[in-house]
Amino acid sequence: MQCKEVEVVLEQHGFVPVPEAARTHLAGCRSCQGLVADLTAIVATAHLLPAEIEPPPRVWASLRAQLEEEGIIKDAAARGVWWQRFPELFRTRVLATAGVGLLIVAAVVLQVRPPASRPTEARNTYENYDDTSMTLSNDEAHLPSMQLAGISKVDVALRQNLDIVDKFIVDCEQRVKEQPGDELARDYLSGAYQQKAQLLSVMMEREGGVY
Amino acid sequence: MKWKMKAPGVVPVLAAGMLFGAAQAPAAPQHFERHFAVNGRPVVVIQNVANGRIEVKSWKNSEVVVAASQASNKISIDTEQAGARIDVTATIADNAAPAGDLEANFQLTVPEETELQLRTQTGLVYVEQVMGDMTLQSVAGEIHLKEVSGYIVVRTTVGSLVCTQCAGKLDFNSISGNAQVLQPGLTSVTLFTMTGNILYDGDFIRTGIYTMKSGKGTVEVHFSGNDSFDLKAQTATGTVDNQAEAYLKPDSHGVRHMASKFTKGLFGTVGSGLAKVELSSYSGTIRILKRD
Repeated sequence: MQCKEVEVVLEQHGFVPVPEAARTHLAGCRSCQGLVADLTAIVATAHLLPAEIEPPPRVWASLRAQLEEEGIIKDAAARGVWWQRFPELFRTRVLATAGVGLLIVAAVVLQVRPPASRPTEARNTYENYDDTSMTLSNDEAHLPSMQLAGISKVDVALRQNLDIVDKFIVDCEQRVKEQPGDELARDYLSGAYQQKAQLLSVMMEREGGVY
Repeated sequence: MKWKMKAPGVVPVLAAGMLFGAAQAPAAPQHFERHFAVNGRPVVVIQNVANGRIEVKSWKNSEVVVAASQASNKISIDTEQAGARIDVTATIADNAAPAGDLEANFQLTVPEETELQLRTQTGLVYVEQVMGDMTLQSVAGEIHLKEVSGYIVVRTTVGSLVCTQCAGKLDFNSISGNAQVLQPGLTSVTLFTMTGNILYDGDFIRTGIYTMKSGKGTVEVHFSGNDSFDLKAQTATGTVDNQAEAYLKPDSHGVRHMASKFTKGLFGTVGSGLAKVELSSYSGTIRILKRD
């Protein structure tokens, strides 16, 4: 047995006690003996560490007061209407692009979700798609008017392709709604959301003059 | 060493413009050329906000030559070298300029082993005989690659890809662009287009993995009699046109594939099934045939 194989055996079977298969090698290998010694020390030290402690409520209260005093967070009354200012955030290109970036990530997460095996899971998946679809539509509604009115070849192409993506999404959403177990349709729907997010990002960047 | 320059030729043109009241006159085309000595494998980055083509060819010299022509002085071209990295950026100096004035074409000559990052709006991107990883982005321009190798990433909105005798790995993503892969030596292929068509005409390298997907378009594969691959073809509402029944056998690896009840599928093996080929189309046609 080689050192690498010993590592694999220890990883798979643990080292208390040392598996039979690795003992002979360990007896004559200083490097592997050192490895087992290190692992033993790490585990022993880990056992000595205290369990995670929940900070007392007064710590949170003090922290909140400090943050409010410094103007980093607003008081409760102001917090109640934060969502009304959400569209304003998207008027700046950087935030808009960042928002689209987040949507891309969300879409990727949706794509890597395991296939729904039970009706409830399928329903949940569809609800997640619903959220993504709505968020993307909101972003589309906030596209800069300059982009929507542009007459250049690129602007026209982007708008036409946004329309293509929207129609494809409607088609796939309908299919997924009717056949929640259709993995292929879900796969294409995820891909379409990603493409829409990327397209919106390109359109917003163009308006911002990044190109 | 890092330095920056503005395209020469701008100043004389501006001066001439002031002398002769050029505010009313049509913009004059301009041309510039820069040479960059490099060691080893350079990385060339072009960001072209304007319209126009980018052409890249290789030579055996350790030098990158950037030649650019622009339709007017409404575009500003900056170049910068930092070690082996060469950046070329074209930006619009006057947003109100007519579209015809916003055109900049680039011609690059690079060492054979060069990494590329090219981004443009419209106009052809053409790369020939370059070895190195490359990322090529275009909204509406076509992308033509000939005898290139490396990890090739292509992103377009409308633009199509034609990849002839490419080697290495290819990743293409587009909304309505087509993809044609001809006589490839690629070990990994990922093609996705929403409404475009896909054509793969060439050999499948043993151990290679090939994924080709089109939402509404056709996915067509032409393989050779010597090929060896496992095939999985699926469509949700489209059709599978199998013109290679004589070559397609049941899977030889003991794994029994079945299409789900929601899709139409075709599974089989050609030869010993060494490569893996996955084709799908949401509502288009998947066509498999053997080359003559």
